[in-house]
This record gives sequence, structure tokens and C-alpha cells, in this order.
Amino acid sequence: MKLKNLSENILRSVKSKGFKYIDLPSVIEADHIVQRSGENFRKFIFSFIDQNGSELCLRPDLTIVSCLRYLENNLRGKEKIFYSGQAYRKSQNKKNSIIRNQVGFEILGSKDEKNDDKEIINTSLKALKNLKYTSGTLTIGNVEIFKLLISKLEIPARWKLRLLRHFWRDDYFNDLLSRLETNADIDPTEVAVDKKRYLNLLKKDPSTMIAGRSIGEILKRFDTKMKDPRRASKGKKVSAIIRSFLKIKCPINNAAKELNKFFKKNKINLVVDQKYFPISSNKVSKLNVMFSTSFGRQLEYYSGMVFKIDIKSNSKIVNCCAGGRYDGLISDLGSKKQVPAVGAAFNL
Amino acid sequence: MKDLIKIGIPSKGRLRKDVLNIFKKNKLKLISSRGDRDLIGSIKGKQNIEIIYLHAREIIEQLAGKSLDLGFSGLDLLKESEINIQNNIKVFKKYPYGQATLVVAIPTDFIDIFSMADLEEVAFEFKDKKKKRLRVATKYPNLTREFFYSKGVTQFSIVKSIGSTEIAPYTGSSEVITDITSTGSTLAANNLRIINDGYILKSELCMMVAKSSLQNKKLQRLAKLLSTKY
Repeated sequence: MKLKNLSENILRSVKSKGFKYIDLPSVIEADHIVQRSGENFRKFIFSFIDQNGSELCLRPDLTIVSCLRYLENNLRGKEKIFYSGQAYRKSQNKKNSIIRNQVGFEILGSKDEKNDDKEIINTSLKALKNLKYTSGTLTIGNVEIFKLLISKLEIPARWKLRLLRHFWRDDYFNDLLSRLETNADIDPTEVAVDKKRYLNLLKKDPSTMIAGRSIGEILKRFDTKMKDPRRASKGKKVSAIIRSFLKIKCPINNAAKELNKFFKKNKINLVVDQKYFPISSNKVSKLNVMFSTSFGRQLEYYSGMVFKIDIKSNSKIVNCCAGGRYDGLISDLGSKKQVPAVGAAFNL
Repeated sequence: MKDLIKIGIPSKGRLRKDVLNIFKKNKLKLISSRGDRDLIGSIKGKQNIEIIYLHAREIIEQLAGKSLDLGFSGLDLLKESEINIQNNIKVFKKYPYGQATLVVAIPTDFIDIFSMADLEEVAFEFKDKKKKRLRVATKYPNLTREFFYSKGVTQFSIVKSIGSTEIAPYTGSSEVITDITSTGSTLAANNLRIINDGYILKSELCMMVAKSSLQNKKLQRLAKLLSTKY
């Protein structure tokens, strides 16, 4: 099927589920992207300076632009929207195209989270019927379970936050786990050297600023670190728990059972109900439905349920659809309130 | 002249002195018809070689742009340049001169920061509590961005600096800096301390050849000569 027809058919399927079509701008202020995703994102965006000296960029992603629209138009309440178009991103891999054709759909500002998650998956499955395939996999994960697990582990609060922050960066996360296992993070010889400076700082007014930080702030963080050091022995145990958690992968109807077995074995006070998952049947629309704890690490902004659909077409496996919940994205872009958001996109 | 070989030498600073020494040791006499300040010169007895004195950063750009065939510059400047420039240049020889390290430095009073992992934490505190980005002043935005990211520091913004980067934390333009240092004394004099694992890149004087000129036999002979005695 030609790309245009395919895209139109998918759009029609999404529309029939009650979503409203919106137009999105192709160019946005680069600052939004850098503020949200950090300086390194500059490597991926096509940016340029306008006549007023503001840095603009081609949209690298449609979801970010759609969330910006919700924020900038001061929208409130529930919106079910869909859009289509191109996203532009530089790629280190020469084989990847810099232009991505996407059809996306989202439910923003609705508090009925469990049902909304289901609706996004069901809409994806309906739209999938426009594609030819013989079999495939629907993989479901949930970043929230990982967060709950971390909150129950015996490590300093600083380390909990650090692990949560970097869950989505596979390589660096593994580095963190290795560091957690080995040497402690405080070097006694250096602490002794800094003791003198510490005593000096104590004598000063805590509100005095040094290079953008107050003395009070520096001392507070120093104290927290000294009182709550990480011990290598405990770190080893915790790291082993995290590693084995990330290996859990099973058919979706066993997800709760497998997780509860894991929590019990590791004496973690958590229980998950099977109803927690948006689907309980192992087979839908020729797809095997799998649950995976490590899935959902590709994008920083996912905060809860995540899913992807890989299909087998002409003996090739291709990822055609991915989505999830990103409740923190709109507030990261500047909203004072957290706005619930869930959505998915077809890559054409 | 068709087979003219153009060589770029830094026009000032320590790198210039080191390069001039290398030529001297190889008994190649550099001559400039209009004295020391002349920016174009030649080598005595070698008619097909032109010497051009220019900024170390520009030497790299001109090598990639094929206006120079061979040049001397710092490894730091090459690694900082854009990927298409790096792809057009081959490092022919690294010399034990001009050694310096690109480092991450913080005010000495930041006693709670030992490592890049601490900086990562502080960067997130800036984002979450102050709703600001941690600012890093640097002359090396590309290398800095890559290094910070590899160490988990994803929340920061770069403040481009041209000179005197060391004072940025005390003039309110940044919290942290990255800069090139050989002894660390300038950093210390400005109340800055290098973060334990904040070593980004070891740099030294390099002889670089434009890839488009690599096949030139005369250039190859000259490059080999200059890389044996130094």
C-alpha cells in the first residue's frame, strides 16, 4: 500500500475512535527542547537563528509539539487529539533517515488513567488492522513498577533519585549499578582535607552566594552526604535485586504472578494485581502480548505504562507503533500543574 | 605553483615556539622576508614549500578546507571541531610538547562536590528546585557536552567563552567551567578545583595532514622527517 493511502487509513481509524485532528507547527523554539531534554539534545535537532536572534528548530518529535500546544493555549480538561506529519532528527547512524513520518494520537488532561491507557492501546490495535502482517508482538512495560521497587530498596535517598533519573539510559544505568556494587562513594582522605574548609564555611553567613549556590545549600548537601553514605556491601545486594528485576519477561497474563513471586523472594513489601495491566489476554490481533520490566527505557519522558508493537511482514520484523504515559512532560515544558498524558505514534 | 606544499604554524604562544624548535632540530631554516611579524614565510633551500602563520584553530579549519596541506595544532582543538572537519584530517604525529588537559573545575568552596556523580546531582537540584539549568562556561562546547552526558550530567546549559573562562563562576555567568590547563596553577589562583574524575581530554601538539594531500610524495617525506627528530 502506498504511504499516503496507509497514512490516510490509519488516520481514519483513529478518527473513528473519537479523536479530533489538530495541526501542529513545524518549527518551534529550540529552548523548549534544550530546557526539557538537556543540552545534549542539540546534537539531534536542526536549529537556526531567526531575525530576532531567537534559536528555532525543526520539530524533532510530534509529542513535544502537541504538549507545547496544550500548554501555550492554556488548555484545561480532557482532550483527545490526533495529528500526522514529519519529525526531523539528526542521526549518528547514516542508514537512518532524518525525516520520520508519524501519525500520533493522545489523550491529555484526563484523570481516568487506567481507562485512557487501555483506549490508546485499543486505538493502536484498531489502526494496526490497516497494515499487512502475519504475526507480531505487543510488548507492555510500566516504569511505575520500577519506581516503586526503587523506593523500597535500602540505599541512600540520593542513590534512589539517581537510579530513577537514569533508568532510561541503558549504558549509563549499568555503570551506575556497577558503581553501586563496588567502592563506597566517599573518600575519607579527601573529607579530611575539606574539613578545614568546612569549618571555615560554617563561620560564614549561610545566605552568602558562591557561584550561584548559597553556603547553606552547599553545607546541607555536604552534611547529608556524610550522614548517609552508601555502603558497598548493601549496594551489592541492591544491585543484584535490580538486575534480576530487569530480567523479568513473560506473557502478560503471568505478569502479576511473576512480579509478586519476585517481590516475595526479595522480601520487598509490594503486591501487584493483574488488573493493573491494560490487557490480560496473551493474544490479540495476531500479536503475542508480552510483559517486560526493562521495556520503556528508550525515552526519558515516559512515566507509567509503555508499549510497542513489532510486526512480522515479508519475513522482516519491524517496529510500527510505540507509546505510553508521560505525565511529567507538560510540567517539564513549563506548566505549573502536572497534566496527565498518554499517547502513541505510528512510524510509517 | 602546482606542487606547492602549504604548511600552517601557530602564529603565537607556546605551540609556536615548540613548532619552531622542531624545524630547527631538523636543520630546516624558516625565513620570513619581512621579519618576525611576517605571516608568510618559507624554508631556506625549499622553493616548493610555503609557511603560513595563523591561529591554531584556523590551522585545523584550513586543513579541512584544503588551503593547507600540513599543519601544527593542538589535539584539543581538533577534537572540538565538527565531525566533517575531523574526517578530513589525519593526525600524523603527536609530540611531547604543549601537553595540557581539558578539565571540569568548580569553585573550591563547593566542598560537597567530589565527583562528576555529585555534579550530576547538583545539576538536577538546579533543575528541580531552582527551575534553572546549571551553567558551564567553556571554550570547548562540543567536548564538554559529550563528556558531561557520558557522566550522567544531562541537565546543564553551555555558556560559550572566548577567554578568561576561570573567572566565569565569580562574575555570575556560570557555576562550573571546563578549561584547558597544564599545571593547574591558573585554576588554583582563581579559587577553582578540578573535579576528581573531571578529566575530559589529554591534549598535546600534533602534526596534522589534510587527507586530500596524504598521497603527495614530497609531503610524505617532509612529514616523516619532521616526526623523527624533535
